[in-house]
Formats: sequence, C-alpha cells, structure tokens
Amino acid sequence: MAKAILYDATKCTGCRGCQVACKNWNGLEAVETYNWGSYENPKDLSTQTWLKMRFIEKGGTETDNMRWLFARQSCMHCTDAACVKVCPTGALHIRTDGFVALDKDKCTNCGYCVEFCPFSIPRLDASLISGIGDKATKCTACTTAGLNRIDNGYQPACVNTCPTGALTFGDRETLLSAAQDKVAALKSNSHPNAYLYGENEVGGTHVLYILDDTPKAYGLIEDPKVPAAATAWQDIIKPLGYGIVGVVGLGLILNIMVARARIISREEK
Amino acid sequence: MKDIERFRKRAIFHHWWIVLCSFLLAVTGLFMFMETLSPGAMGGYSRIIHRFAALGFVAVPIIYFVLNPKTSLEWLKEAFTWNTDDIGWLQAAPEYYFGGPEENMPPQGRSNTGQKLWMVVVIITGVVFVITGAVMMFSGVSGVAVILHDIAFIAGGAMFLVHFFLAVFHPRMSEAMRSMITGKASEDYVKSHHGKWYEEVVAKGEQS
Ligand code: HEM
Ligand code: SF4
Ligand code: SF4
Repeated sequence: MAKAILYDATKCTGCRGCQVACKNWNGLEAVETYNWGSYENPKDLSTQTWLKMRFIEKGGTETDNMRWLFARQSCMHCTDAACVKVCPTGALHIRTDGFVALDKDKCTNCGYCVEFCPFSIPRLDASLISGIGDKATKCTACTTAGLNRIDNGYQPACVNTCPTGALTFGDRETLLSAAQDKVAALKSNSHPNAYLYGENEVGGTHVLYILDDTPKAYGLIEDPKVPAAATAWQDIIKPLGYGIVGVVGLGLILNIMVARARIISREEK
Repeated sequence: MKDIERFRKRAIFHHWWIVLCSFLLAVTGLFMFMETLSPGAMGGYSRIIHRFAALGFVAVPIIYFVLNPKTSLEWLKEAFTWNTDDIGWLQAAPEYYFGGPEENMPPQGRSNTGQKLWMVVVIITGVVFVITGAVMMFSGVSGVAVILHDIAFIAGGAMFLVHFFLAVFHPRMSEAMRSMITGKASEDYVKSHHGKWYEEVVAKGEQS
C-alpha cells in the first residue's frame, strides 16, 4: 500500500521542529552556519542535513503586506525516481510503500544520483583523488536500516514532532483526497493559485504539498522531469550496448565454427 | 624458416601495459555498469583501482611517446592512413575470415586494415575515456561525461571482443599472438598477411 507524507504549507509556522527531529533521529550533526540574510538556516542541504525548511519572503511593500512562505526541502520520494534509475548498485531502491530507500552498504559514492535527481536532493562528500568519502545521503522517510521507524509502526520523525499538524503520514490515497479537498477549498477562498504539488509530478511523489500559491512562489521546481539524459542512458544506450555486445559475441562464435569447417574441408581436398 | 621482426621489445611492453590497465579499468568499470556485478565494487573501493589504472593508462603512452617520438608518430600515421587497398580489404575480409580463399585480399602493410581500424578505435575511445573520466574525477559526475564514457565503453568493448577473438582463436591469425609476445613472425606469415610491408622489408634489407 502506497504511503505518503503530506505537508500543508498553510499550517506550517516555520518552527523547524521537523528539521531538528530529522537530525536527532538520524544522528546527524549540527552544521555551522552564518547569517546570509535569511532566517533560512543552514543555507543548503548536506550530508548532515537531509531536511530543511525554505523561508521565502514575499511582498513587504506599501500595497503588499510582507508574507513568509515556508516549504519543505527534502527528498520527494518520486514514483519515477531518477536517482533509482541511474544508481548502478541498487543502493537506491523503491520500497513497496513507494518510499525511496537508500542502502549505504551498497553505495559506491559514484555521485550519479546527485547529478540526475531533478530536485537536487542527494548529497555526498567525495575526495577528488580517490573518489571515496561520505557516502550518498538523503531522506529515506525513516526507513534507514537500524533506524527504521516505518516498519516498526511509527510515523517518520519529522511528522511525529510537527506541533501544528502541518505534517501528516498515512496512505497516499487517503492523504491525496484530503489534500484535494483542502486545495479546492483554498481556491474558492481567495487563493486562486492554490496547488497540490506532487499529485502528478514525476509519476506522483510520496511527499505531497498543499500550497496556497504557485509552486514557483514556494521555490519549488515547476513541472520537474526525469532528465532526458537519464532515460536515454538507462533505457536506450545501455540496452543497446548489451544488444551490440551480444550480437558481436554470437557473430564471433558463428565465425569460428564456419571458418574452421571451411578451412579444414579445403585442406582435405 | 627465417623470422622477421614485427614489433620492438618496448612496443610489446607498451601493448601489454595498456592491456593490463584496460583490463583493470574495464573490470572496475563493469562493477559500476552492471548492477549484478556491483558487489565487486566493494562499497566504492574499486573506484580507487579504476583511478590508479586510469593513471597508468594515461601516463605510460605519454612516456612512450616522449621516449620514442619518431616511431610513435609513424604508428599514428599508419593508423590514420587509408587508401583503396583498405576499401578492398574491408570488402574481401568477411569472406576471408569466414574461411574463404585468400586471393581477393589486397596486400597489406605492417598492419592490415582491420588492425588499423582497431588502432583508430583504441585512440578515439582512449581519448574519450580520458577526457570524460578526467571531467568526472576533477569536477564531479556530469551527465554528458558519464554517458560518453559509457558509449566509449560499449564501442571499445565490442571491438575488443573482435580483437581478442582474432588474436586468440582465429585460425587465420596463427602468428599474431606470437608476434605480440616475441616480436617476430615467420617470413611466410608476413609474406601472406602483410605483403606490402614484406616488400618494403626485403627492399630495405637489399639496400644495406
Ligand atoms: C580503457 C579505459 C576505461 C574504461 C574501460 C572505463 C570504464 C568505465 C566504466 C564502465 C565506468 C562505469 C561508469 C559508467 O557506467 O560509465 C567508469 C567510470 C568512471 N571512469 Fe572509467 N574507464 C576507462 C578509463 C578511464 C579513465 C582514463 C579515467 C580517468 C582519467 C576514468 C575515470 C572514470 C570515472 C571518474 C568514473 C566514474 C566513477 C568514478 O567516479 O570512479 N576512466 N569507467
Ligand atoms: S527527489 Fe531526488 S532523491 Fe528523492 S526520490 Fe526523487 S529523484 Fe530520488
Ligand atoms: S552515489 Fe551511491 S546511491 Fe548515489 S547513485 Fe551512486 S551508488 Fe547509488
């Protein structure tokens, strides 16, 4: 049964409890930061920050009141997950509940997921010379081996801690229909741009966002796509490669059989 | 029977050095190409081998070139010099390698057209490997680089199968392996397989 996390931006107060709960549960270190002109903190995701809240300031003019838009920035748990498509080891894989899990033992730190994720989520630290370093990390929806909340009947740590009910966890179907109702209500209630993000994006994601404005206003990627290069690479070039090598191999076997027989028969004449 | 020298010792070393590096590169590369082989990557340590093999793959040809500029340039020129005999060879080769008669094969230089084709493939895929590999190593994986690296792997790999097969198994290439190990091939073999070059060698021998 497909599960999901629903994030309702209209209920979010930007308290960042989720951000802290994520670090706490997953044993991630605090990251030294600085004031870069925003309450958003730290500035970016890293191997130690798998979830952070984005703070966007809107308006603030005489006619347009200042507003803060908060948006969760973390793995979207895509149905068409580009990271899984390109991961050469199976370290990244899709669970039956739809969450995209990561098995660090298998990860080789190659960085393909980092390059191809349309949301720029996975992070790793690799040495320039050896290529080895901190392995790929990202939100696993609390399915990391040894830290697996989901399979033990708990909600994800971020959902568990959220004090306003902006985060909920459950069956994707159920959450989706509740979210659709909420977005419809927002639309008819002076939020014409309200949007349910993740319903159809990249095959439907397992993190859903209720937004009272456009995805763009929330700093989310409009119409994200599995990169064409990832599809061409994995679904065309590689199968073609196996095909070419197979045909060549068969051709060579045929060749040795025919050539041997013909040369021998000529020598016998 | 008299033997003729086809390859100098250092060229032979160079060949087998590239084979060693390519083997390591291809095996550690396969660990990242086929999911079923990925346990071989040992959680990423195979990538260190890939990088050291890449260093050998780049450094030794450069050293060879610096120490033997004249023969290296001659070799490059040979690989990229193609004429009507090569077209004729390409037309006649399938029949010949499938055990047909020899008459239609145009006389060949020190390397035949197929061998030159392989040299061209090695040079082109080698350059693509090194450039795209260096990009991935020094500025991180980029989609274009990793895909070109893959295409070079597929093209080079398929051609390598043919090269390996001809050298090791094909009855017509009876002395190819010996000449890449000892440097020498029999006069008969050179005469029939590398007629044009044989004439040159004989002419040179008569001069001195
Ligand atoms: C005969 C030569 C080579 C072969 C057969 C080869 C093969 C491969 C293969 C199959 C992969 C797996 C990734 C993929 O699916 O494309 C790979 C990855 C890679 N190769 Fe190569 N390669 C060769 C030469 C080089 C060279 C010369 C360099 C660097 C100068 C290089 C650097 C890399 C890097 C950086 C990666 C990405 C994985 C990693 O970060 O270790 N390769 N190679
Ligand atoms: S958001 Fe990125 S890392 Fe998460 S499942 Fe989608 S492609 Fe993978
Ligand atoms: S870095 Fe790890 S998780 Fe990401 S694609 Fe490579 S092996 Fe898979």
